[in-house]
Amino acid sequence: MKKIQLLWALLLLAISGPALAVPSFARQTGQDCAACHIGSYGPQLTPYGMKFKMGGYTESDGKDGHIPLSAMLVESFTKTKKDQTEDAAPHFGNNNNASLQEVSVFVAGRFSENIGAFSQITWSEPDRKTSMDNFDLRLVKSTQVAGDDTVFGISLNNNPTVQDPFNSAGWKFPFIGSELAPTPTAGQIIAGGLETQVFGTTAYAIYDNHWYAELGGYKSFSKNMLNKMNIDSAETDKISGVSPYWRLAYFNDMHKSAYNIGLFGMNTHILPGREAGPTDKYTDIGVDGSYQFLGTREHVMTINGSYTHEHRQLDSSFTAGNASQKNGHLDRFDLNTSYHYNKTYGLTLGLFDIKGNTDDALYNSGEADFGSANGSPNSRGYTLQADWTPLGKEQSWGAPFANMRFAVQYTGYTKFNGAKNNYDSEGRNASDNNTLFTSVWFAI
Amino acid sequence: MKRLSIIFLASGLLISLLPTAYAAGDAANGKKIYEEECSDCHSITAGKHKKGPSFFGVVGRKSATISEFNYSDAMRAKNITWTADIINDYIKAPKKYVPGGKMKYDGLEDEKSRTDVIAYISSLH
Repeated sequence: MKKIQLLWALLLLAISGPALAVPSFARQTGQDCAACHIGSYGPQLTPYGMKFKMGGYTESDGKDGHIPLSAMLVESFTKTKKDQTEDAAPHFGNNNNASLQEVSVFVAGRFSENIGAFSQITWSEPDRKTSMDNFDLRLVKSTQVAGDDTVFGISLNNNPTVQDPFNSAGWKFPFIGSELAPTPTAGQIIAGGLETQVFGTTAYAIYDNHWYAELGGYKSFSKNMLNKMNIDSAETDKISGVSPYWRLAYFNDMHKSAYNIGLFGMNTHILPGREAGPTDKYTDIGVDGSYQFLGTREHVMTINGSYTHEHRQLDSSFTAGNASQKNGHLDRFDLNTSYHYNKTYGLTLGLFDIKGNTDDALYNSGEADFGSANGSPNSRGYTLQADWTPLGKEQSWGAPFANMRFAVQYTGYTKFNGAKNNYDSEGRNASDNNTLFTSVWFAI
Repeated sequence: MKRLSIIFLASGLLISLLPTAYAAGDAANGKKIYEEECSDCHSITAGKHKKGPSFFGVVGRKSATISEFNYSDAMRAKNITWTADIINDYIKAPKKYVPGGKMKYDGLEDEKSRTDVIAYISSLH
């Protein structure tokens, strides 16, 4: 165990160090942002971008000297329909908050023919600290199996699903949102519940450019390691043993269009508060799919959907009085569709529906804005986003180095933490959390 | 006048490299096919090389001769001139025509589509 953590520490140190400066993907490949990303801006991937990710970020134009790090900055403004009861975060007000949401440095690119990485270190104004963000180091080998192209890969990462190449199970719309507005309390363990707290190793293969399979496991970082990455260990739980993660998908890139369908899942035994004793057991299983119409790239349309069921056996939380019943579930459905014109102007509509069993101890915290008076996790709503990405095309100013996206996003709730009206018994309605979120996002 | 003569001669040379079938291709449809099938990896701008080299001036060019592009060893060894017929054979099954080459494209099966796209890229000079 100590050896594995030492290896991770060395890897993180190596990748974070200036001696291993890595090129950004665009400089490395000679491609423009629009080749890999829908609407010329990440993270939503085109089929080309998916293949680049599955190829371990190693594809290059074959030239030496690609050095630069990448960086990004997100400035945002958040307005909720009704003021929050308390300030949104220390140093912010209870509404109408401007925030330097994220400043990130990426070490992202190819180390050798078989090794590539995407790693992100982020400072955020709401948190007022710099810490390790997403990380995905890959070892890949391209070969032929039964006469067909096959890529075998290993991913070392710190967030289950961050390594997923598709836009429906891992990173999915909305790719950015407010950190200063109330959001539904209940979340699944596979959907960010372990983000940056764990390290995992998964092995994957893409056979004949169609069949994708992945299998691996996750363990928690030690407190010492979390502290080194400036992640507050007091806010983390611990995985007991190893959590297996698996993924199967079929992918078809027809150039004018593409689609993928698949299944994914994870079994996790959690020690809440990192304390020894009985565990809370989560079994997640999901089905997902995407379709992209790409055509001549002038009119691009996408549809992404997923449904994830999470079964919970909360032995630890029940014993501690933090759950009213041992067995429960939390299901989530997401569906979104986007249209982009000329790789520049985008419009996306997303729908979400979260449903689970009622559990008073788990959800009825009595907290204004965030509690659920009826102990239900159910939330439902929509997100509408319009965005403008003036750069990132072949002929754009600063290509392939500079990019910018300006976005206006509106999230509406028809149900929040169990009810449409007075969900927290403090008089707050679901629609009071409707959020207007504007952002300007720079990347170099 | 001398300049016009050179352009005239160059055009004549290109047309001579383009068999009648490709010259009769629908270049407008070929542009659409280029955008759908090729544009992710190939620019039409002179000197702009992406994952693959620029299509500008490709018809009549000797293979692997753009100094700033990093070709595969297999392509360097091919030693061909990109006539319309050879482009047709290549884009029909790139991995078969240049085994060990960099191009991952599976190939453009439809003959008319190939004819049209060759007509389009033949106009890029």
